[in-house]
Amino acid sequence: MSNPGATEPRELHRRLQAIWANLPGFGTLSAVNHTSIGRRFMVTGAFFFLVGGLLAMLIRTQLALPEQDIVGAHLYNQLFTMHGTVMMFLFAIPILEGFAIYMVPKLIGARDLVFPRISSLGYYCYLFGGMIILFSLFFGVAPDSGWFMYTPLSGSEFSPGPGSDVWLLGVTFVEISALAAGVELTVSILRSRSQGMTLRHMPILCWYLLAMSLMIVFGFPPLILASILLEIERATGLIFFEVAGGGDPILWQHLFWLFGHPEVYIIFLPAAGIVSTVLPVFAQRPIVGYRWLVLAIILTGFISFGLWVHHMFTVGIPHLAQAFFSVASMLVAIPTGIQIFAWLATLWTGRVIFSLPMLWIFGFLVIFVAGGLTGVMLALAPFNWQVHDTHFVVAHMHYVLVGGMFFPLIAGLYYWLPQLTGRMPSDLLGKTGFWLTFLGFNGTFLVMHLTGLLGMPRRVYTYASGTGWEWTNLVSSLGGFVMAAGVAMIILDVALHFRYGQRAPRNPWNADTLEWATAMPPAPYNFASLAPLPTRHPLWDNPELGESMAQGQHGLTSTGHGRRETYGSDAVTGRILHIIHLPTNSWWPLAAALSLAVVFMGLLLRIYPLALVGVGVTAVFVLRWSWENGVHPNAAPLNVSEPEDYPLHSRTQDGPGLWGMVVALMANGTLYLSLLFGWFYLWTVAPLWTLPPENPLSLAPLLLSGVLLTLAVIGYQQLVTGLRRRRGRPLKRQLWWVTGLGLGHFLLLLWVLVSAPLEGTVRAHDAVLTVMLYYLLIHSGTGVVLTALQGLRVGYGYVSHNLPYETIVLRPFWLYTLGIYWLGLAAFVLLPMAWGGG
Amino acid sequence: MPVNGQRALHGAHLVMGLVIWSLWFVALYGSLSVVCSLAPPAIEAGPLNWLNAGLLVITLLTTGLLGVAAWRCWQLSPDKQANNFPLGRFMGRLAAAIYLLSAVSTLAVGLPVLVLPPCI
Repeated sequence: MSNPGATEPRELHRRLQAIWANLPGFGTLSAVNHTSIGRRFMVTGAFFFLVGGLLAMLIRTQLALPEQDIVGAHLYNQLFTMHGTVMMFLFAIPILEGFAIYMVPKLIGARDLVFPRISSLGYYCYLFGGMIILFSLFFGVAPDSGWFMYTPLSGSEFSPGPGSDVWLLGVTFVEISALAAGVELTVSILRSRSQGMTLRHMPILCWYLLAMSLMIVFGFPPLILASILLEIERATGLIFFEVAGGGDPILWQHLFWLFGHPEVYIIFLPAAGIVSTVLPVFAQRPIVGYRWLVLAIILTGFISFGLWVHHMFTVGIPHLAQAFFSVASMLVAIPTGIQIFAWLATLWTGRVIFSLPMLWIFGFLVIFVAGGLTGVMLALAPFNWQVHDTHFVVAHMHYVLVGGMFFPLIAGLYYWLPQLTGRMPSDLLGKTGFWLTFLGFNGTFLVMHLTGLLGMPRRVYTYASGTGWEWTNLVSSLGGFVMAAGVAMIILDVALHFRYGQRAPRNPWNADTLEWATAMPPAPYNFASLAPLPTRHPLWDNPELGESMAQGQHGLTSTGHGRRETYGSDAVTGRILHIIHLPTNSWWPLAAALSLAVVFMGLLLRIYPLALVGVGVTAVFVLRWSWENGVHPNAAPLNVSEPEDYPLHSRTQDGPGLWGMVVALMANGTLYLSLLFGWFYLWTVAPLWTLPPENPLSLAPLLLSGVLLTLAVIGYQQLVTGLRRRRGRPLKRQLWWVTGLGLGHFLLLLWVLVSAPLEGTVRAHDAVLTVMLYYLLIHSGTGVVLTALQGLRVGYGYVSHNLPYETIVLRPFWLYTLGIYWLGLAAFVLLPMAWGGG
Repeated sequence: MPVNGQRALHGAHLVMGLVIWSLWFVALYGSLSVVCSLAPPAIEAGPLNWLNAGLLVITLLTTGLLGVAAWRCWQLSPDKQANNFPLGRFMGRLAAAIYLLSAVSTLAVGLPVLVLPPCI
């Protein structure tokens, strides 16, 4: 793939800049490039961190002395709810997503992520969702039921104002961005690594980020479903969590913690990845036990999903079940222990340079290990019962989250700041910031364990004198302000370094990973040429690699076509399979996010016609966006030069879009399984669950609708088989047949829903059934529209037997729709009938 | 996937052990919850009852299956001295370790059925 002397380097950079640059002025809002989007995520996340920190200071001010009434109970409830919500949903996850979006292509030798417009959409969803949540504070309607929004407190009876709606809708809006990032990062890491980067050669940070991304894909849907159900219950009265109608508030807890516990590891894993990247550089040796670390990452990714009930040890679950989750909670300490021993062994056998990033790494090790130990204590059910809902849990949580995420994050900030900006931070300010933060943090939270053991519950806005909690709270508050001073020092350091920081030399820490081969700050295309990377330590093996890549001495240097390109490769071996052509700057993501904001605002203000219009407009925007793909003139038209060494991905049968579809369907399937879980949970556990006297759904039309769907999917399968062989019957006619059959299925299903005497406001059974029917309808309708669109694209020449890619991408969607239909029919209709009810 | 004329283990083996562990975990907790709701065994029987026995059998079968898978992967991964195929060795050894630790996790989480009654 070497391409020596193809173009003079300066001219090559000029051409690449012209292809990859953001539009000037306001046009920068149309940017899709991962460097720009990653930076925006991180800057916005940092802003929300300051907001969350400010709220924490207000909390500590209120609790500093007994019997104070500085903020009052009502505002205090809003403060602690917003502090948790902002820190978890608007700071921790998004800033790490932004970090991953920024880093992944640079680590794997690619020019961008594989779905750049999705990155942009994700950012705007995050921004707008975050603004909705934030502004609720200024209007005095912020959520106040705690960051995990337990029902019935968060339900319409006990929280009649819009606070809970703000949380449910705002967080769901933000979660679109998390899922978008999860899908995109997964596919990018697996399918766009440079030549020769096998799984064995992948930078350890990529393993961590891959695990994080997949955990987002499987972890977020339960909460999205729970939020949708609770919002529907609040808005329309359909019953899901109210005991009186056959619902159960404990269902919310299950769904929330199915998300909530993996969430802790979604935050921890990328931070641990930072540690595993930074620490070996300053130990001046490769990380010890690479394979053990990969093992630990994969174990953590799975086992952390088996712990959620340890947040619910006090709700009355059988002891045996508690024992299962207790043991699983202790098991997760094993992969964490593997990592800690690997880090210690690396330090032990290396020649450690005690630089500023390493200071933060040492802070992390001390605090996180302490937090892990109290975690093992909390995994023991009897101890857990004693300290449940006390400040002990608050202290543990902050040791894990601040120690496990914030300290590595700041280590990463100081480590990569020269790469981001090309300038070095101040050592003096940085060290002062560290010590103030470290001492302040421990001053706040170490003593808070004692506050909890002395019995002080969480979430009380004040306490009486003489309880023994006075001095511990005062120390915690003083420590909090010291920590705030430390954070202020870091902000000052970063702000000043833009002007006064010394120019950073290339690869200032003598790092091994490829992100240091970019310019500092990086160009939007990262690398002028893409080098083979059959090594975990490209810059240690070849310190001149950055130079030769910048000189255009490696692959993918042609620019005459004007396309944004990067390599597409095999997931395991890193063998190049095709060239992925990427979309350029686009306004569609911003337009779609704005119209989605209209939907969410319409729902929040309960102006439902407005929300409906927003849905329609969003659909139009997204479909129009999808039109600019493949050989569309704005993408990779046929009459422009095609590469000679590898085909463009849209000319193949297996590209990132297919993988993106499958990964997105995994997330979708998790949501569906969560709904199934809810159905069976209510059926077996809810104390007042009742089946209706007669089945509310007409069975014959349901079966007929299923037959039509099956025929449509069989037709689509045959069509794809013909495409794979690049022959077969006329494509357009087949697509319209499938569209027609799918439409018939959709209309029959719609009729079943409209004609069914469902009483969701009376019975939870009918409410869940209603949601299931809407879920099936949405999928069937989407399949029909997308297939019709394929038919239209055949007419335009964008899809054909020689260009089968898009049609193949749609196939998993139809198979999924078929699967959920028959599974839904069996679980929601046939099983209750066989049981003797409904 | 052939590399250098040899075949590496499929990438799915890196997660399959823990997928099986997850399915077993769902079956364990799900069947316990459903049976305790619909037809709980007599409390006086303590841990010696048909439900715990069933859960133990499922646990032992799953542990055995995962153990065999770990052994097979270890056998299939190329020997370091025998040939120069580091990717195959990496995948094989990693998959074997994941199957093995999945087996250990299954046994560890399932063993409380020996000592605790199921529905109180």
